[in-house]
Formats: sequence, structure tokens, C-alpha cells
Amino acid sequence: MEPTPIVELKNLTKVIKGKKIIDDLSLQLYPGQITGFLGPNGAGKTTTIRMMVGLMKKSGGEVVIDGQTLSADFEKALSKVGVIVENPEMYKFMSGYKNLLHFARMQKGVTKERIDEVVKQVGMQNRIHEKVGTYSLGMRQRLGLAQALLHRPKFLILDEPTNGLDPAGIREFRDYLRLIAKTENVSVFVSSHMLSEIELMCDRIAVIQNGKLVDLRNMRETQEAHYYVEAFPADQTFQLLGTLGFKTESVNEGFVIQAEKTQIPELVKALATAGLELYAIQPHRKTLEDQFLELTGGGQLAETASK
Amino acid sequence: MLKLLQNEWMKLWSKKGTWIMASLVVVLILGMAGIVKWSDSLTGDEPDWKVSAKSELEMDKNSLEMDVLKGESKRHAEENVQILEYRLANNVAPLKDISREGMIYDPSVGSIALLLTVIVAAGIVATEFSQGTIKMLLTRPVKRWKIMTSKYLAILLFGVLLMIIGFVTTILSAFVFFPSGGGQALAISGGNVVDVSIWGHGLYMLLLSFVNVIITATFAFMIGSVFRSSGMAIGLSLFIYFSGNVIVVLLSRFEVVKYLLFTHMDVTMYESNFVINDDLTLPFSLAVLAVYLVAFLIVSYSVFTKRDITA
Repeated sequence: MEPTPIVELKNLTKVIKGKKIIDDLSLQLYPGQITGFLGPNGAGKTTTIRMMVGLMKKSGGEVVIDGQTLSADFEKALSKVGVIVENPEMYKFMSGYKNLLHFARMQKGVTKERIDEVVKQVGMQNRIHEKVGTYSLGMRQRLGLAQALLHRPKFLILDEPTNGLDPAGIREFRDYLRLIAKTENVSVFVSSHMLSEIELMCDRIAVIQNGKLVDLRNMRETQEAHYYVEAFPADQTFQLLGTLGFKTESVNEGFVIQAEKTQIPELVKALATAGLELYAIQPHRKTLEDQFLELTGGGQLAETASK
Repeated sequence: MLKLLQNEWMKLWSKKGTWIMASLVVVLILGMAGIVKWSDSLTGDEPDWKVSAKSELEMDKNSLEMDVLKGESKRHAEENVQILEYRLANNVAPLKDISREGMIYDPSVGSIALLLTVIVAAGIVATEFSQGTIKMLLTRPVKRWKIMTSKYLAILLFGVLLMIIGFVTTILSAFVFFPSGGGQALAISGGNVVDVSIWGHGLYMLLLSFVNVIITATFAFMIGSVFRSSGMAIGLSLFIYFSGNVIVVLLSRFEVVKYLLFTHMDVTMYESNFVINDDLTLPFSLAVLAVYLVAFLIVSYSVFTKRDITA
């Protein structure tokens, strides 16, 4: 049931001063899916995104958006894309409404009614006619989202969208993205190094390091079968787990084991028969942070992890 | 393209500075008219025009006889002789400089419009960078050369608007402050002396001074888009505007001066007859300026359309 991708990066490459910043990057993005784009600082996230939206010229490869090649038909390809690059810098000396009008004029077929609709969607009706200079960061972020949605894009691309937002703002933003991804079948591509953020928001993550894609996985897969077991005494527990053939790892007071759900009752019985005091057994979810560091932490790891 | 131009126009007039600039044109022109009127009231009655016409005629005839003039200067002296003789023979007084007609005949709008247009031209690309809005602007489905063109057109339109505001203010102040001075402007056309309309001549002068507005503003536009700094663009543009003449004088011994930008920037010199080099003519100046203009635009466009936006 693989749907056709809305965006395809094909062997995208960027060379700056003889150095490969982005190296042969290929990636597909699908409708209705939120893809997180992760990587340590300087890995090439921003460069990749800027090549996708025409701010930077690519050195090689191709960006295809909804069947249109970016370099061949820039205007057609970009007309499907809504963009927020870092903090949305609007014209501070104009009202929010005039800013939207400005960007609406640069798209085909955005009516005044559509502007009003988007304004309502992001809940800015009350202050839309005030100057952007008077807005808080959260309001500017909303306005940024509004301008990106004006032309009903099929693809939304966001670079560090939650920079500087307070927790409430972040949550609101996240919920909103999830909503439009679902209701309007928009494909969303978010870069961030706020891992917990990506974790909560995304269906899929792409990890980039040194300009190369090192990992691409669905978030569901990342919650593979791990269980946390806490029993006393610890060393005997460890031994038992080992003899039962579980892959075991010591975490805090207890252990994390790789196991299927169906194995758990057996395990509980085994622990009980061995006379160990069982305090806790629960599904364990490795945080994205753990996985991320695992992937990108050691340089060696990063090189072997590419599939 | 019209929508893009609308955008630039909206951004321009959303800034307070633009309104201040436009009103500055009015204030400065009215102020200058006031100063002229006041200083004029301090000087005594002008001498009879016939006396000064006669002495001017003699001087021109002398220099023609000594054969020291050539090119434009010679032509101008010959025409002047013909006009002055006509005036004396037919008792036709010239326009007084400080009179209603004199003001309209030679409106001094150009330099104010130039300075203010340069400020706008310098900032129109540079401020998009300094405010970070360039990222928003260039991620739209609009090719960069179109954005650039809309900005350039906005500058020209702004220049034209300032010239119009300036000329209208000049006309109003001419009627409010100055009495009619009589007289008739004359010129040579096809070997004959003809009457010149003050309105036609006023507009012609505006057109000539607008050439300088265009060229200096285009220069500022180029510097602003290449270096992304409006301060630098304003500084350099005003530098070439003010120091141009000095450079021309310094280099006047050399042939190359004929092809320098500075030599040609002020084409009103062909009307006021302060032509720097006698070999020069208006069409030649316009041709040289056109070459520079195209070069400036090529640099601006190619840098802007190729640049990676990293800020």
C-alpha cells in the first residue's frame, strides 16, 4: 500500500568550496505523513531544506514536488509548497493582514475569502490588523503558519518551527500540524533538534549526519518490543533473564529486555518460581533521544548504521 | 508582475519614512522658494535687461571672433548672439530668474528627488536581507528576476512620483510667492528665433534631471543588492553624485573622461550650458549612460538570481 510520494529528493548534492555539505541524499515524503528531519548541528538539515525551497542552488541531483522538477519549473513546483524557514520573519512595519495579502499576491488563486478563512483557522481574527511589530513570538509563529497555508499546499516544510515557542505554543502548533496532515492530507516535513518534539509530532523520522541520510524509520517501529523488568535481587534476575535467552541491558534499578508481548506471562511465572521479588514489569520505550544519540553519537556508529 | 509591483508599492508606503520623504519634497521646495524670495527682497532693483543683454552680446561676439570656442560652446555662443540681437531689435525682454515664469521654466526638483529615490533604491533589496524577510520572499512560486524587476519598477515609479510632487509644488509656490515677471524665453529652431513655452521647457528640464535620478538610483540598487547593505549603497551613490564633477575636472586632460559615468550624469548641462567637454553631445551622453545602466542592471540581476540565501 505504498502511496506515491508527493516529494522526492533524488541524489541531492551540495558542494560548497569543494566540500560536500549534502552527499547524495535521497528521500521520499508521502501525503498525510509527518516526517521529522533530525541531525546534529551542521549535519546539513538547513541546507537540504533550503535547496528544497529554492533558497539555495543544488550542485547535483533533483527535487521533485508533485511531479514537477524544481529546477525545470520552479514556479509550478513551489506553488504546491508552504514554507516556514526558521522564525517567520514578517514585515514588521505592516499589519498581519497586509503581510498575508502580500504573500497571497505571490500565489495563484488565493482570494480575500481564503485569507479570512486562514486567519480564522489560526485564531488571529482579533489582532490581524495590528502591526506585526507588536506581536509576540507565538503570534508571529501563527501568522507564519497562516502564510504557509494560504494556497492550500500539498506539502508543508518547516525548519525549526518551534524555536522560541513556550510549551503551550509548541503544543498548539503540534496539534495543528497533526490536524492538517490528517484532514487535508498534507505531507509535512519538519526539521528540528528538539527530539522530544519530533517524537510527539512525527510519523516517521529521517536522520542525517555529515550530509548523508543515516536512518529512516517509522516511529511505530521504534517502539519495538522492549520491556522494563525490576526484580530483586538484581544479580539473580540478570542471570535468570540470561538463561531464558533475553537480550538484557541494565537500566537504573532494573533491566530492559527485548521480548514479545506473548513471552511476558512465561517470564512472570519464571521469576515467581525462582523466588524473585518482582516489583515492576512494563513496556519500555526507548526515547528518541536515546536512539538519536546511539545513531549519531559515535562517529563510527554513524557510519555503520546506514542501511 | 502587476501584483508584485503592488506588493512593493504597499511595502514602500507602509514605512513611515516614505511619507516623510514625500512631504520633505514639498517642505524643501516651499522652503527654498521662501528663501529665494526673502534674499531677493534684500537686493535692490535689477538693472535694465537691455544693458546686460548688450554687454553679454559683446562678450559672446568677442570670444567668437577670437575663435577660442569649439563644439557645443561655440554653437551655444552663436545661438546666444542671434537671440540677443533679436531681443534688442524687437524689444523682447528675457524671463527674470526670480519670477513666476522663471521658477517654472527651470524647476529645481531633480536633486531632491534624486537623493530620496537613492535612499529607497538602496534599501529595497538590502532591507529584505537585513530584516530576514528575504527567506519569505524567495520561497514563493515566483522567479527571482520577476521580484527584482518589480522592485526596480517600484523605484522608478517612486522617482517619477517625487518629480511630479516636486513640480506641482514648484508651480504652486511660483504662483503663491512670485509675481509674474513678464518676458519671453527664446530659442533657436532651424536657424530661426522662436518662442519657448515655460511649461514645455520646465517639463523638458524635469525629464533631463530624471535621467540622473535613474542612473544614480540604479547604481544604488546595484550596490544595495550586491552588498546587501543600504548604508553602503546610499554612501557610495551620494559619493559619486557629489564627487563626480571633481573627478571629471581632475581627469579632464585625458580622453577617457568622455566615457566616464560622472561626465554624463547631469544631462541638464546641455540646457544650462556648463558642458564639461566640448566634444560631448546629448545623444552621446545618453548612449554612454545607457551602457552603464545596462551594466548596473546585469550585475544586480545576476548576483541576486544566483545568490544562495544562507542568512
